[in-house]
Amino acid sequence: MNNDNIMLKISGLKVSIDDREILTGVNLEVRPGEVHAIMGPNGSGKSTLSAVLAGNENFKVTEGEVLFEGEDLLKLSPEERSWAGVFLGFQYPIEIPGVTNVNFIKTAINEHRKRKGLPELSAAQFLKLMRERMAYVDMDSSFTSRGVNVGFSGGEKKRNEIFHMAMLEPKLAILDETDSGLDVDALRIVASGINRLKTPQNATIVITHYQRLLDYIVPDYIHVIYKGSIIKSAGRELAREIEQRGYDWLIN
Amino acid sequence: MKQNYIYAPNLTSEFKCKVPLQGTRQLFIVNGRVQGGRSPFSLRLEEGEAMEEILQIISVRHKSYKEELSTQQDFHFGKGSVGRIIQCSHTFSPDRFVTTEKVTITVERDASAEFCIMQNEHNNAEHNTSYEANLAEGASLNMVFLSLHGGIIRNEIVVNLNGSHAQCDLAGLYLTDSRQLMDNNIHLNHLVPYCTSSQLFKGILDDEGVARFYGLIKVAPDAQKTEAYQANHNLLISDKAKAHTKPQLEIYADDVKCSHGATMGRLNEDELFYMRTRGIPAAEARILQQKAFAHEVLEKISNTQLRERMLNLVERRLRGEFSHCKNCTNHCC
Repeated sequence: MNNDNIMLKISGLKVSIDDREILTGVNLEVRPGEVHAIMGPNGSGKSTLSAVLAGNENFKVTEGEVLFEGEDLLKLSPEERSWAGVFLGFQYPIEIPGVTNVNFIKTAINEHRKRKGLPELSAAQFLKLMRERMAYVDMDSSFTSRGVNVGFSGGEKKRNEIFHMAMLEPKLAILDETDSGLDVDALRIVASGINRLKTPQNATIVITHYQRLLDYIVPDYIHVIYKGSIIKSAGRELAREIEQRGYDWLIN
Repeated sequence: MKQNYIYAPNLTSEFKCKVPLQGTRQLFIVNGRVQGGRSPFSLRLEEGEAMEEILQIISVRHKSYKEELSTQQDFHFGKGSVGRIIQCSHTFSPDRFVTTEKVTITVERDASAEFCIMQNEHNNAEHNTSYEANLAEGASLNMVFLSLHGGIIRNEIVVNLNGSHAQCDLAGLYLTDSRQLMDNNIHLNHLVPYCTSSQLFKGILDDEGVARFYGLIKVAPDAQKTEAYQANHNLLISDKAKAHTKPQLEIYADDVKCSHGATMGRLNEDELFYMRTRGIPAAEARILQQKAFAHEVLEKISNTQLRERMLNLVERRLRGEFSHCKNCTNHCC
């Protein structure tokens, strides 16, 4: 495939925290329109990868590079990555008491628009967009006036993440364990929201423990990460095999 | 409503609010002199009287008098009366003004009084207030202190709950930067049974700003069934900012519910990162966090329009706009 068409290119990425190496050399290529699933046992480095891509400064990149649309992603601040079109859906969304969900997302949207040279949305335009996107994840309007994630159940928090994603329309969404803590109904709502946002131009990386989510969000590629590097990449059929046989056969 | 106080004097336009708050009447005190009325200022509500409008008392220090100044204001809320007061204090020039202000508040049986105190002064100004409030049976007093800006601001607040079922709610927000000092000294005295009180004071301290909080809840031997709560929370923005806090309880009764607590903290890094991943720049995210911290106090302002204005003022203050504009006190109300 044409190299120009690669959206995200991770090469030889090594990452440490407190002098402990967590990623030991990750390589990954993601193209527009693709859905990649990253699986692996606990502590293998899945969440670290997503945090590093989003710009979490607690992690130190010691080697390798990450190109996003040909540009060095790692030199950008978290907000610059967001403006460039990278989105991280958190495994544990942060509660921000006192900042209402509506103010929060409005500030975010207008910051994005500012960078694109667009005027701020009018109150009416914003409200219309917000209502439309909240419907993607079946959220009712009472969520908007509450503090960001404050008092939200686990499922509501994850729906809120997808709502943020729907508002910001990222090119690359990295969804870290979006399925954790969800019951079947919530999982279905969240997954259908993600599917609805899928276009031939954007790409998604879903990080998950379980094959369960992949019943709803069908990946093009599955990667198994273990001890900080990708040990196996294959098509969607790999998920079934992992479901049946676990990770042991891949590790040994 | 009896008009034993006088409003809307003929002042030079520099003192006037450009857009007065809806439903308020304004009284001006310039260098301690009540404009168009007798000094010192005193307000007396008769039995059962309900003030229809909020009385906004705007005290300004003007460079035409630079000596130390002592002023007094007295408020008397008669039985069953209801009144709402906004007290604003400003300096109109960056001169060294020293102001000492004594305020007495008497809330008689079943009367209810609300105060919003806004202090916005220059860095050379020193403002010492002393509030003494006495509450009779069933009386209610709610006060919100917003110490937005000033070289030295000291608030001494003494509340005596003299009649049972009296209720007092005190809240404060203090914002310091440069080398400002803000001091809140509170004595809440529960003298009889069945009274409730709460105190919530929060501060955001930047640069080399210093805050002191001393809060004492004293429950007398007979004051059973007292409920009294006190909290002081400080957000330290810089490494050199300081907060001293001394929450205290002195309880001589055995059937009471009391609590006190104090915290010092920094801006939460996880919140900051979360906001940044959504495209909110770090500086903006920090302002949002500080606004959120202040929100709990501002929420106590019952008048929504006033609350909005105060929110805006606090936001502008957090963005450091006061220091960029020497005369901005002209536009704050």
